[in-house]
This record gives sequence, structure tokens and C-alpha cells, in this order.
Amino acid sequence: MAHAPLTLPPEVRSRLKRLRLRTRSDLGSGGFGMHPSRNKGAGLEFAQYRAYEPGDEPRRIDWKLFARSDRFFVREAEEESPVAVWLLIDGSASMAQADRARPDYSRLDAAQLLALCTAELALMQGDRFGWIGLREAGLMVADPRGGRAQIDRLQLDFARLAAEGGFPDAATLAPLWERIGPHDLVLFLSDCFDERGIALIERLAKAGREVLCVQLLTVEERDFPFEGGYRFREQESGAALIGDGKALREAYLARFAAARAALDERLDAAGIRHVTAFLDAPVDAPLHVFFGRGVPPA
Amino acid sequence: MTPLLLAPLGLAALAALVVPLAIHLRRRTEEVPVDFAALRWLDPLPRPRRRLRFDEWLLLALRLLLVAGLALLLAQPAVLGWESDRPQVLVAPGIDAAAARAVAGPDAEVRWIAAGFPGIDTAMPEAPGEVSSLIRQFDAELPEGAPLAILVPPVLAGVDAAPLRLTRKATWRIVGDAEPIRPPAPAVPALAVRHAAGQERALRWFRAAAGAWSDAPQFDAATGDALPPRSRVLVWLTPGRVPAAVTDWVSEGGTALLGPEAELAMPAASTALWRDEAGRTLVEGGPVGAGRLMRFTHPLEPAVMPELLAGDFAASLRDLLAPPAPPPARVAATAFAPAGGTPPFPLPPRPLSAWLAVVIALLFLAERWLATRRGRFAA
Repeated sequence: MAHAPLTLPPEVRSRLKRLRLRTRSDLGSGGFGMHPSRNKGAGLEFAQYRAYEPGDEPRRIDWKLFARSDRFFVREAEEESPVAVWLLIDGSASMAQADRARPDYSRLDAAQLLALCTAELALMQGDRFGWIGLREAGLMVADPRGGRAQIDRLQLDFARLAAEGGFPDAATLAPLWERIGPHDLVLFLSDCFDERGIALIERLAKAGREVLCVQLLTVEERDFPFEGGYRFREQESGAALIGDGKALREAYLARFAAARAALDERLDAAGIRHVTAFLDAPVDAPLHVFFGRGVPPA
Repeated sequence: MTPLLLAPLGLAALAALVVPLAIHLRRRTEEVPVDFAALRWLDPLPRPRRRLRFDEWLLLALRLLLVAGLALLLAQPAVLGWESDRPQVLVAPGIDAAAARAVAGPDAEVRWIAAGFPGIDTAMPEAPGEVSSLIRQFDAELPEGAPLAILVPPVLAGVDAAPLRLTRKATWRIVGDAEPIRPPAPAVPALAVRHAAGQERALRWFRAAAGAWSDAPQFDAATGDALPPRSRVLVWLTPGRVPAAVTDWVSEGGTALLGPEAELAMPAASTALWRDEAGRTLVEGGPVGAGRLMRFTHPLEPAVMPELLAGDFAASLRDLLAPPAPPPARVAATAFAPAGGTPPFPLPPRPLSAWLAVVIALLFLAERWLATRRGRFAA
């Protein structure tokens, strides 16, 4: 299936300008710059050459290259940031669920858009970002980098990421531990219905990573607007339940609210900042909760 | 008002009410499949559902009404006794409308005697030719017991020969003053004689007759074929074959009297129009097209036809040639008062199918609107 590249609505893009990616460690340091850096003098990992333009500092001219080619070239380096943002996207089948009122906008679409928002945000302030698609068949890993090209890679990877299968088991998840650095920021995008997902971020948080969890819920899960006979099917296990929507509603809403409260408590206990996003809300609302003034956009 | 059904068997179509009921019966076996990841929080043992349930009550009610209406339409509903018992007043044209309204009283329904019985508020119609027939019709269509008054002028025109016998005792009122009756003067035919040279002897009978009819006789005589205008009576004495121009002239509305020597096949409907005392036919003829064609059967000689010399020849000839008078159609209103006693006619029930069809059409539109509205299957 050919996916159109993800695009951010203009109003979302303009709202992103108000946000700054901050880690917990930023809040207390109050130092110079956005993040405290261990490598002073900006990591000069080579990125590209470009032609000299008037106004460039002479010391940035690559003189060896000038000797070879008799032209001025400027060495451009990627400014390395010490903080990497990891986007963990749940690729299990339950993420494919969409509301019947808006069948072309699934949970996975929302997660990818939210990831793209975060990536743009990281790009704007020069942070590196990478992502991990949590697929049962194998992780889709992209190491953190900066630059516009990373966004293009993200678009390509996300186009290939389809929601299928279950949540990966511990063996599949093993590479993840090698990648995510100790001070990295982890954004976990999932429906949080899978126990293994919760256990994963609990472990990450316990291991010192700062974890932000966005629970993506459909409107139907929140409101249960079903009338009449339905055959409810769970995507990952294939289990089904036939029932009358109206008869099921009250008990479901109560039990689901209790389950969400229990999850909140559990994440709070683990020190994971978390927010619930519904598919009918603006896609960038969780970022405003995490990085803005805490007030989601209307 | 008594509602009734002209074809009660049509109500059997009410059995079709089952169809919308069956459509709207919530089908328990049919479950809409839906993906739902939060399945584990659904109660696996929902309360058992009630046995019979229907979806979309409003649409169901509309559809039931629609089917019931169609069944009723098949049964042909009608209503008896829908007529009002208000006093009815018929006014003959020629009476002043205001005077008629004053005589009739405020709560009476006043109508002209004319085709369709227009109300007195409309313009006075022309006097109809069949007043007594219209009165009988109105009386027959009136419900039993409704009082009827008829306002007529002193001399009533347009009646037929039968006396009025109605189903009720109608009030017969003569309104207005008698106008003096001027009998029309009898029409005097104008003669145009066409003859051959040497026939002048026969001319004198017609000249004498024309002179006897009027002080200023309209008479011309000529030889040749020139035809007079159709208002004149052509007397064709020329012997021999009658030209086609003459028969055409007659069939387009003229009146012609042929001499005995004229050769022409008489119309098939010819009859004897004038006989003498011995029973001999003197003049025969009949209609040709729009006109009349007559012919003398005997030579115009007093020896053969002594009536030429008789004193009433002019009058007989005039009666023969003058157009037929209309039948008498006027009567002194006092002598034409209707009598009651005719058994009343049962009035036909008024069918309501047209109104019912309109209601059904509206129901259908409402049903379509409900059934095709957007978002019907969304929830």
C-alpha cells in the first residue's frame, strides 16, 4: 500500500513553534543553552562541503581542499546535541483501529503524525532523533541523527510501518537496550493495552531514561457509541465477543475507566509522564502537555 | 357523514403491513463486525436482550402508514351524506342578482340556472336553452330534505314541453315585472327567379305571391345562371340539367325551389312537402348539405295545378319557403310551477381516493426523506 507522505497541518506546524523539547535534567540546571553538553565546542561531525559565500568566516574554509581545487569550500559540521529523542511507535495490530466516523485515520496514523511533530520539534532546535517501530517480526530501528534528511528517512520508514501482529517479546526487544542512551528522551506512542509495552517503559524509566508515554485512544473506546448488535473483535488475539452495544456500554465504561486509572497510577509510580490522546483531539495536544505550558490547544 | 368503502375486499392488502414490520425487526443473527482493541474490558456476559425489538421507530411508523394508506386506497373509501342542508335558491338568468339575493335571504346558497350552477356572485350567465332540464338536474342532485326555492321571471324562456315534476316541494317565486311580449313578424322570403327565355308566363305566380307577402316585395327575375346571395330563395325554372353551381350553392346553406322541368336527382331524404286536396304531391324536397332543395312535380299551369289560382297560394308558398320556426320554449311562469312527488334519487357517495392519494404521496416523500437522509447508518 502506497502511503502519502505524512504532512502536518499548517496550524499544527505553527503551534509547534511555541514548544521546546526539554528534558527533566534541563529543568534544574538553568545553564547556558538548551541542553547541558558534555562535549564543549560543539561536536564537529562532518556533514558536507559547500561553496564559500561572502560572510563566511575565513577560518571555516577548508584550505586543503582549496589547495587541491583552487576554490573555496566551507566545511559544514553537524552540531551535535547531547540529547537524542527516541520515538517508540507501537506497531501491533491494535494500532490499526480507527473510528467508524473517520475510518482513514487510525491510531497508528495519529502516532506517526505525533512522532513527526516531535521530530520537527527536535529538528528545529537541533536535537538528534531516532525511532523504533515495535513490530513483532522485528524492530525497525533508526539511530538518532539530526538534519532534514532524517525527516525524509522517517517518512520512508513510517510508510513501511504497518500495524500487524502483536507486541514484540523480550527477545525481539533486546536491541533496543543497546541503542537508547542513558540520558535520552523516549516518547512511547501506543494504546498501552499491552502489558509488555507497559513493562518495557517501566524498565526504561527505571534504567534512567526519561520516558514520556502517550496513550492513544479512539473516540469509540472513550464513548462506546454502539447501538444494536455488534461483533467485537480484538485484532491481536482474534478473540471476538457478540453483544448488544447498549447493554454492554455501562459496564464497559466503568471497567475501562478503572483500567485507565490503574494504568495512570502505575505510570505515576514509575515516574513516567503520561497523557491520553484521543483521535478527535488535535494531534499535537500531548506535546503541549509535555513541553508547553501544560495547556493543550483547543 | 357516513364513511364507507366501495371495495372492502381491498382491505385484504393490509396483510402487507407485515413487510415493513419484517424489515424493521432487529435481526438478532446479524451482527456488525467491528474491530475493538479494548475488548478485555467488555463484559463477556451481557444481559440477555429482549425478544422482539424494532429499529427506527419513526421510519417504521411511516412505512406502516404508507402501506395502510395504499390498502385503504384499494378499498376505495367514500363518504355518504356529505351534502349540506342549507336552503338552496336557483335564480333564472334575467333576474337582477341583488334582488335575488334580497329575496333569498342571508344563509341560502344562491345559484344561477346555468350549466354548472355558478354562484350568484359570478357574472350573470347567458340564458340557457334548457332551463327545465337544469332545474330537474339540480333537484335530483340535491340531498333529500334540503329546501329549494326557484326565482323566475314572469315569462320563463328555455323550457321544454313536459311540466316540471321535482322530488321535493319547491318554492316557486316570480320576481320582476312582466315584459310585453312582442311576437316576431313572420319572415318574408325574398325570391330570385332564374328562368329561360320564353318562360315568362310562369314568373307571374311568384311575382304575385311576393307582392301578396309584402308591400315592398323583394323579387327579382332574370335569365341566366347568376346566383343570388344565400339569404334569398332561388326559384330555378330553367328546364334541363341543373348546373352543379346551383347544387353547391344549396348545399352551402341556400334554399332553392326547382321548376318541374329541371333535371336533378333529388336527395334521398326527399318527402312530399305540399299536397293538394286529392293527395297529389305538388312539391317534394329535403335537406341537401346545410340547405334545402325543393321541386315542383307538376307543370306550373293552372290546368294541371289549380292551386296556383287558389287564394291561399301565396301563404302556402311562404310557409314552404320560410325557414322553420323554432319550437315554442316560453311559458308564463305562473303556469309552470313545479309539482312535487317524484321519488328522490339516491345520491352517489363522494369518493375520497384523490385526497387519499395526496396523503399517500406526502407520506411517501416523508418516508424517502427519512430513509435516505445522510448519516442514517453512521451510528
